[in-house]
Amino acid sequence: MKIFICDDTPESFFTAVFDAYGIAGAVITSDGNFQLSMGDEPVRVHYDIEKCDRVRRVLKKYGAENDVLSTLKSCDTRKEQVCFAYVKRLTELKKSIKNAFNLPEVVDFNDILYKITGETHRLKGLLRFKETAGGVLYAPYSPDNDITDLLTPHFAARLRSEKFIIHDINRGIAGLYDGRGWIITHVGEAEICLSDSELAFEGLWKKYYKSVNIESRPHERQMKRSMPVRYWKFLPEKND
Amino acid sequence: MIDGQRLEILTESAKYDVSCSSSGSNRANRAGGLGNAAAGGICHSFTPDGRCISLLKILMSNDCVYDCEYCPNRKSADVRRATLTPTEICELVIGFYKRNYIEGLFLSSAVFGSPDRTMELLIATVEMLRREYHFNGYIHLKGIPHADEMLIMKAARLADRMSYNIELPSEQSLKLLAPQKTKQSLLLPMKSLSNAITYGKVNKVPRRDAVLPAGQTTQMIIGASPETDGQILKLTEALYRNMGLRRVYYSSYVPVVQSSLLPTVGAGLLREHRLYQADWLIRFYGFDVDEIVGEGENLSKEYDPKCAWALRNMQLFPVEVNTAPLASLLRVPGIGAKSAYKIVEARKYGKLDFEHLVKMRVVLKRAKHFITCKGKFYGSESVAEVKNCLLIEGGREINEQLSMFSETSVALSALTGEV
Repeated sequence: MKIFICDDTPESFFTAVFDAYGIAGAVITSDGNFQLSMGDEPVRVHYDIEKCDRVRRVLKKYGAENDVLSTLKSCDTRKEQVCFAYVKRLTELKKSIKNAFNLPEVVDFNDILYKITGETHRLKGLLRFKETAGGVLYAPYSPDNDITDLLTPHFAARLRSEKFIIHDINRGIAGLYDGRGWIITHVGEAEICLSDSELAFEGLWKKYYKSVNIESRPHERQMKRSMPVRYWKFLPEKND
Repeated sequence: MIDGQRLEILTESAKYDVSCSSSGSNRANRAGGLGNAAAGGICHSFTPDGRCISLLKILMSNDCVYDCEYCPNRKSADVRRATLTPTEICELVIGFYKRNYIEGLFLSSAVFGSPDRTMELLIATVEMLRREYHFNGYIHLKGIPHADEMLIMKAARLADRMSYNIELPSEQSLKLLAPQKTKQSLLLPMKSLSNAITYGKVNKVPRRDAVLPAGQTTQMIIGASPETDGQILKLTEALYRNMGLRRVYYSSYVPVVQSSLLPTVGAGLLREHRLYQADWLIRFYGFDVDEIVGEGENLSKEYDPKCAWALRNMQLFPVEVNTAPLASLLRVPGIGAKSAYKIVEARKYGKLDFEHLVKMRVVLKRAKHFITCKGKFYGSESVAEVKNCLLIEGGREINEQLSMFSETSVALSALTGEV
C-alpha cells in the first residue's frame, strides 16, 4: 500500500491528493502521524504549486476549500486521510456534499470539522486577556486544535482599537493585532509585565463569578460539560 | 472604581433572573469603538450551578420602593442595600469586556426614588457606555414599569434587547402579589416597543438606528399562583404572536420569602422543564397551544408534550422519512429540529434506510415507533407497548436532566446563549 507523507502544510496535502488520486488504496498522512506496517510503501510528497492549485480549484468550485482548510487544522491524526476520502467523494459526485449527512466520508469529515468550529466558538468565550503595562492585551492559551488564525479575526473585529496578542503556548504560535491588521507568527516564551489595574479587575471578576452562582443548586457536571477542565488553566475565576 | 462588597450585593440581587442570553443582535463595531455583538451569542464562563455567564448581570440599585410579596429586595425586607453610579458601571463593563470576561451588560434595577428617575439613570448609564466609551457590545436593559414612554423609547434606541417581566401569569395574581405593578404597566410598554420594532423592520430603518435588534423577552414565575399550564402557554403564545417576543422565560417558584400569600413549597423543576418543552414546540415545531394542552389543563408529567401529542394522534403515524415533509418530521417524537434538517438534506443524495439514520446520529429510541424507512417499520405495532417504551425512555431522560439542578433552564439558557 502506498502511503503519501506530507509535512503539516495545506499545500503539501493538496499536492499529495493530486499524487495519490487514482491509486487504489493510497493513504495520505503527515510526518507526526505516520505509522508504517509490513508491505507499506512510503512516498515523500514534494510540494508542487501546479498540482496544489489544480486540487484547490476543484475544492473552490464545490465550495469546500474553507472546510478542508479548517479540518486540516485538527489535532486528529486521521485528518489527512479523512480529507482525502472527502475530496475523492466530492470529485466523484461533482457537487457539494456538505450536507450529504448519510455518506460515511461526510460523517467522518464533519466530525472533525465540527470539533474545530466548536472549539473556535468555545474559545471566543473562554479566552482571557490580561492587560500589560504597555496597554497591549495578552491572552495565553493551549487549544486542542491549531485555531489561532480562526480566532484572531474575531477579536480583531471586536477589539478594533486595541492591540492584542493571542498566544498558543504549546504550538509556539501567536496572532498579533496592532490596531490595524493581524498576522500569525511563531513566537517563543513571552515575558509579561501587568498593568496597575489588572489584578483589581481580576479580583472583581472572581468576586462576580462567586456571587452570581446559586450555591443551593450545585450542578458541577453541567459546568464541566460546558467548560472542560483542560481550559481552566487560563481562567482567573477557576484559579482562586 | 467599584468595591467588591457592592458588586457582591448587586450581583446576588440580580442572579435569579433567568435570562442571560446574548444572542440575536449583530451590532457591528464602529470606528474607534470597542466591541460588537455576535448574532449567535457567546458564553464566557459557567458557574458551579451549571449556568452560563454571558453578560455582566447586575442591578444598579437594590434599594426598592416597591413591596412585591415574592421579591427578596422588597421594601420591607431586611437586606443589605447598595447603589452604583453610571460611571462605576461603565468602568466595570469596559474593564471586563476588554479582558473577554463578558459579552456585554444586563442592567436592571430596583425602583429607587420614582420609576422615571430609575429609568433615567439606567438610560444615562447606557448612553454613557455607547457615547463616551464607544461601546458596541451587547446591552440588555430591564424596563421599569410605570416609567414614561418617551424614556422607554430612548432606552430602546440604545439597547440591543429589553425586557419587562410579566412576573405572574394572570392579572389577579399580579394584583395579589405585586400590587404596585399593574398588567397595563407591563403590557403597554411591551406593545409600544413591539410597534417600534415592527416600524423599523417595515420601513427598513438602517441598522445603526434600529430599535432593539435583539427584540424583547419576559419572564414569569411558575407555581407561586394557581394558573394552569394551559393558561400559561396561552399567554406565552399570545406574547410570541402579538408582541413579537423572542423568548418567554419560566422560573420555577422557590420559597425564599416567608408570606401567607405564597405557597410554602416550590413548583418543582419538572413543571418548568415541561413548559420549556412546550414553548419550543410553539416556537420551532409549528405547534399551536390548543394541540398541546387544553386551557384548564396541565401538561403530562409522564410524557414530554410532543410524545403526549403523538400518542393522542397515532392515526397520523408512521411517516416515511424519505418523503415526509419537514413539518411532519418535526412532529415525530425524538426527532429534533437538527435531525429533521439533516434528514431533509441527506435524502437529496439518495434514499435513507434505518442504518443511515443511525450513522447520522438521529436518536431513534422513540422515533422508531413513528417512522418508516423505505417503507419498513422498525417500531412496535401495539400502542400500549409504544406507550410503555416512551415512558421508560422519558423517565431516563428526566432523571438525567433533573438529577441535580434544573438542567432545563440551565441547559436552555446555555443553549440560548448560543443558538
